[in-house]
Amino acid sequence: VTHEDDLTRRSFLKALGASIALAGLDGCNRIPAEKILPFVTQPPELTPGVAVHYATSMVLDGYATGLVVEAHEGRPTKIEGNPDHPASLGAAGILEQASLLQLYDPNRAKRIRLGSAPSTWQSFTTAMSPAALRQRVGARGTGLALLLEPTSSPLIANALASLQTLYPDMSVYYYAPLLSGASGTALTVDGLIPQYDIGAAEVILSVGSDFLAAVPFHLRYARQFSDRRRTPLTGMNRLYVAETGFSVTGATADHRLRCRPAEMESLLEALLETLAAGSASPTAVTGRSAASFSSSPWLTAVAADLRAHGGNSLVVAGERLAPRVHALVAACNDALGSTGRTVWYTRSPLLGVGQANTNMSALADALRGGGIDTLVCIGGNPSYATPASLGFAAMLKRVPNSAFIGLYENETARDTRWFVPSAHYLESWGDARAYDGTYSIVQPLVQPLYGGKSAIEVLSALAGSPSADPRVGVKESSLSAGVTRDDDSWSAALRRGFVPTLPVARVAAGPRPELLRLPASTSGPPGSLDVMFDRDPRVHDGSFANNGWLQELPDPVTKLTWDNAVLVSPDTAGRLGVANGDVLLLRRDTRTLRMPALIVPGVASDAAIVHFGYGRTGGEEVAKGVGVDAYQLWPELGAYAVSGISVERAAGADHHDFAITQTHWTMEGRDQARSESLDAYRNEQHGAESQATKPSRRQLTIYDPPQRLESPHQWAMTIDLGTCIGCSACVVACQSENNIPVVGRDDVAKSREMHWLRIDRYLEGPAENPRVVTQPMLCQHCENAPCEYVCPVEATEHSPDGLNEMIYNRCVGTRFCSNNCPYKVRRFNWFDYNAHLSETEQMAKNPDVTVRERGVMEKCTFCVQRIREAEIDAGTSGRPLRGDEIKTACQQACPTNAIVFGSLTERDSEMMRRREESRVYGVLSELGTEPRVRYLARIRNPNPQLEDGR
Amino acid sequence: VSVAVPPTTASPAAPAREPWPLMRGAPTDAALTDHLLAPLWRASRLWWLLFALSTLGTLLLLGTVTYTVLVGIGTWGNNIPVAWAFAITNFVWWIGIGHAGTFISAFLLLLNQHWRGSINRVAEAMTIFALVNAALFPLLHLGRPWFFYWLIPYPATMNVWPNFKSALPWDVAAVTTYFTVSLLFWYLGLVPDLASARDRAPTRRRRLAYGVFAMGWHGSGFQWERYRIAYVLLAALATPLVISVHSVVSLDFSIAQLPGWHSTIFPPYFVVGAIYSGLAMVLILLLPLRRAFRLYDIVTEAHLDAIAKLMLAMGLMLTYSYVIETFMAWYSANTAERYTYLTSRPFGPYAIAYWIMTILNVVSPQLFWWRRLRTNTVVLFLTSAGILVGMWMERFIIIVTSLNRDFLTSSWHIYIPTWVDWSILAGSLGLFGFLFLLFVRFVPSVAISEVKSLSIELSQSPAGSSDA
Repeated sequence: VTHEDDLTRRSFLKALGASIALAGLDGCNRIPAEKILPFVTQPPELTPGVAVHYATSMVLDGYATGLVVEAHEGRPTKIEGNPDHPASLGAAGILEQASLLQLYDPNRAKRIRLGSAPSTWQSFTTAMSPAALRQRVGARGTGLALLLEPTSSPLIANALASLQTLYPDMSVYYYAPLLSGASGTALTVDGLIPQYDIGAAEVILSVGSDFLAAVPFHLRYARQFSDRRRTPLTGMNRLYVAETGFSVTGATADHRLRCRPAEMESLLEALLETLAAGSASPTAVTGRSAASFSSSPWLTAVAADLRAHGGNSLVVAGERLAPRVHALVAACNDALGSTGRTVWYTRSPLLGVGQANTNMSALADALRGGGIDTLVCIGGNPSYATPASLGFAAMLKRVPNSAFIGLYENETARDTRWFVPSAHYLESWGDARAYDGTYSIVQPLVQPLYGGKSAIEVLSALAGSPSADPRVGVKESSLSAGVTRDDDSWSAALRRGFVPTLPVARVAAGPRPELLRLPASTSGPPGSLDVMFDRDPRVHDGSFANNGWLQELPDPVTKLTWDNAVLVSPDTAGRLGVANGDVLLLRRDTRTLRMPALIVPGVASDAAIVHFGYGRTGGEEVAKGVGVDAYQLWPELGAYAVSGISVERAAGADHHDFAITQTHWTMEGRDQARSESLDAYRNEQHGAESQATKPSRRQLTIYDPPQRLESPHQWAMTIDLGTCIGCSACVVACQSENNIPVVGRDDVAKSREMHWLRIDRYLEGPAENPRVVTQPMLCQHCENAPCEYVCPVEATEHSPDGLNEMIYNRCVGTRFCSNNCPYKVRRFNWFDYNAHLSETEQMAKNPDVTVRERGVMEKCTFCVQRIREAEIDAGTSGRPLRGDEIKTACQQACPTNAIVFGSLTERDSEMMRRREESRVYGVLSELGTEPRVRYLARIRNPNPQLEDGR
Repeated sequence: VSVAVPPTTASPAAPAREPWPLMRGAPTDAALTDHLLAPLWRASRLWWLLFALSTLGTLLLLGTVTYTVLVGIGTWGNNIPVAWAFAITNFVWWIGIGHAGTFISAFLLLLNQHWRGSINRVAEAMTIFALVNAALFPLLHLGRPWFFYWLIPYPATMNVWPNFKSALPWDVAAVTTYFTVSLLFWYLGLVPDLASARDRAPTRRRRLAYGVFAMGWHGSGFQWERYRIAYVLLAALATPLVISVHSVVSLDFSIAQLPGWHSTIFPPYFVVGAIYSGLAMVLILLLPLRRAFRLYDIVTEAHLDAIAKLMLAMGLMLTYSYVIETFMAWYSANTAERYTYLTSRPFGPYAIAYWIMTILNVVSPQLFWWRRLRTNTVVLFLTSAGILVGMWMERFIIIVTSLNRDFLTSSWHIYIPTWVDWSILAGSLGLFGFLFLLFVRFVPSVAISEVKSLSIELSQSPAGSSDA
């Protein structure tokens, strides 16, 4: 009783306040203990509710892309491109953006273990310290091997060098399944990689290269490419693509030739012969395959076009094609005079590149030899992502003392003695080089959520100094990149996220007759399939398989989600007698694989594409049971184009249902996504009737025109279909910015995906080799919105500045608005999709955007939170707001600047300038919706010698 | 209680071209009352069997509705683009069925059609129960059904009103008005019969129950005078509602600009279809009832013939609507309109439903050109069942095939109903049966007082024949 009497109202409030303050402190302790620096301006202190941006870098297969990460109260919520970084130019790819969700993934490994027993970092560092390890691996470290992911990090290089002094005989291996050639990346016999200036190329021939969406520098290349297409009437480039599958680059091409993998080689041989015929020193091509292309009109026209542009033309080869292909391409570029102008070579910054004793085959040999006692695998997932025939998992199990440091307890974690959770890159210090050699810093934004350790911490532990400060290490290694020891220089580097340096020295790559003399690849016998084992556009090599955003992102070409498949052309499917979802049995030697077929127009006949990265069996719950593991059939390291795989319909197999977001591929003669050839467009400029510039039908109506809106800003968007490549970076950006839930495979199959922004992809022409138009489709913010008048409770209304607004807490969910939306861009919460988010996943949500509950409608808001933030910001500082200060999330992520946002009232803005082009139109504007989003028709630049698009 | 059953001759084949009598025999008032009240005092085994079945159906409905409200309407097959499907189809279907009751009792009362007297009670009860079912669906299909009252104009503290530009608040108003008037009309008609039941109830408890609902009716001339005036006034009030309800329901679709919905013919087209399906349901209920309660003398071939003729007329008007809306789609030269009517519906993924609809709604009523078939109970029953299915298909086609392939081909997607969709449909039939069986068990299912007055009228008029 006396106790209660002691608790006065005042003391109760004090206690209450204190506990709230403590709870608050507890919630904010994720900021790293070390000093980290914001991107541009350092705030005097952290202001709750105000986002801070930090520069960092994400490393993928060894190369860094500069990023700017938005953080709210110490938790990263959005990943954007670093505008100054050469690999980003402000854009961000789908993997970079989705890596945010990976940070918060509740399936990430949380505990260190030895065997199956929980262990500690202390035990691990003790067991792996030089004192203990020398007992096992010998004084010179003969029995010690490290397996790393490819890395260009000077920090790691330093650490390895100092480790090498402790263990002179230790061996280091590097492995990534997509860079598994004899010497890492292809054409790196001497450790060289090609650098392109896509912007300088008038005519580009890509042979199997998805350089706009799937190579380390793709964001930059896409920008350079699109800059030449922004104003079609002046200096438009031309792109030819010869490829087996259907890539983003192929879908963007002016002419696309579908050919089997071996045919790409024949094509290049014929091209080289044609080009060399006129030159002074003809290059001898020996070991020729069947010369099926020497008389091809396609090749003749392409060769003439390339030659006509001399040094301003460019031939690009797919990075995973055979070394001979790269040699042929290099020879072609030499013959064109392009080498040194649109393409040159530099030394690859990847460690160990060009050394045959550092690759996976060498490791497999060493493991078979049994000389390895201790194998430390840092990152990757070699037990899963190696050819099944290699038997790596079994060999790893036999290693007496093995350790795996990984984000997940995946397939590899099962096979090692030690397991240590690794830190996410947003949780760790590090560095790396971009594809062009730019030194980039990896700066952490949070303390490790699950106690993970970074690569550098593990290497330091091996070297006997587990408590070494990684930040100091980065500071040291940055000295090599020109950062000086004074703090300002270091701070500047951290703020910028990278160190701008002079271009890396070009290296002359001489002709390679020895490669040209290699036997040419051949297509398989009739009835078999030539299979391209390829990177998945969404989950990469499988390392992003546990990411819901990526699993649910429609494949840019097939629109497939939550799956992989054997992609075959309609004619091949006809020959095999299979329909979509029929299960095929693929056989190569003794290995078989059952995998459902998906018919994709544009794939080469008698060929198939199979994506890696699915059929996961590790501890990742999202990835479990999704798709089929293509590594099981992959015959050998480095062989991505495999001919002669026998195929038949699997007996008694069930039909597989795919979750595909767009099931109808043609426009049915409608004109929502307009495109036409440059010639036709040019003629129209002189008054001819046209498809791209046809005027919108005048609205005859008995009703009043839409109410004139009074606000000084009238928000609108212009989207250039001519530069949209369909890469889908905008879709992930929107998902991250607007807290869009992941609905899962079953609901996608029912057409319930929640994406506010989708990329519609339409095919025109014959099914074997169609032309493609991609069209980002989002709420059009109609001035005369059909959704608004049908809502019975006024839950969707127009704002004075022209936004079609959705009032979630007024919505009762009749869904009439969606029925009446001709664009079908409204999304409905069929279930409570946010009900079961883990605590960490909740941290990934953008606090500026409402998380929607079950039973309400939602849709694109034009990133209204960004608009209002900018307005408030301008208002408090008393300056007028420029509409183009605001960038929507989709616009920001777009590598080609196809999307621009702004105000209709600012006639000098880029958004309005584009609207003055004659090819501007509103989708379905004949319905009288007066959409605020306008599109620019896509202009193709076909070679008059060839059929348009083919 | 044994009741003297008047002798009946089951459906004798009448000489051709002879008008059917509206009533057979000349029973006394007492005998009629006894005969018509008999089902109230004793339930047959068949009744119990059907009641058990319909209770199961009702429980199924209850279970699936609870599941839907707890988990969300993701349990259904709906998606984007097909955001409306089974629920709204069921809603329009039940509302349509609910039209015949008031049509028969009020419309025909004002038109002085005497034959309505022996079937109006069944038709009105059907209307009430169909409306109960119908009202369930718009409520249930909401994403957040607990906020349904936001569609009702009430002075909210936030000063937010429903959007009167939208058809949905009007829909709510139209359906609730119709339900209220139908219920009052039904109850008013029941009062004299409830008094009869009170007077003849075998037990005290029943006497009490019927007494309360009879509200002191004792059949004085004064009461009858007031009663007649009230009844005709209410009929006059209900008659325009027959037209307005389904017109308003049709606006749920025609105010949209979706091809397949965006059509000015919808209001009359929907009203005709509604009466069509309602008449079919009347027959589905009346024919077994006529047999079970031995009503052959009261519900004669004249009634069946009249209903069948009405159905034929409605079927022809509906056919006209089908033809006109298809023609207008072609005539508009609009790509999307033409695609919906000329490609998607007859040849698209739901083509089977389209052709079932066409055969059942357009072809099958043509049987009623033959007088013999108009009175053949088997033909009538099967055709009516077919028309009910056909009308359900019609609503499904209007809703789903318009949505699943609209303007942008990229968003086209199939809709496949789930087990919950089917269960709710089956359950709503169960609830309808449940309510109807309770009705025939506890309420006189033929308007006794009207039949008695008809009987007297017929005995006084020398012709005693139908004016149907």
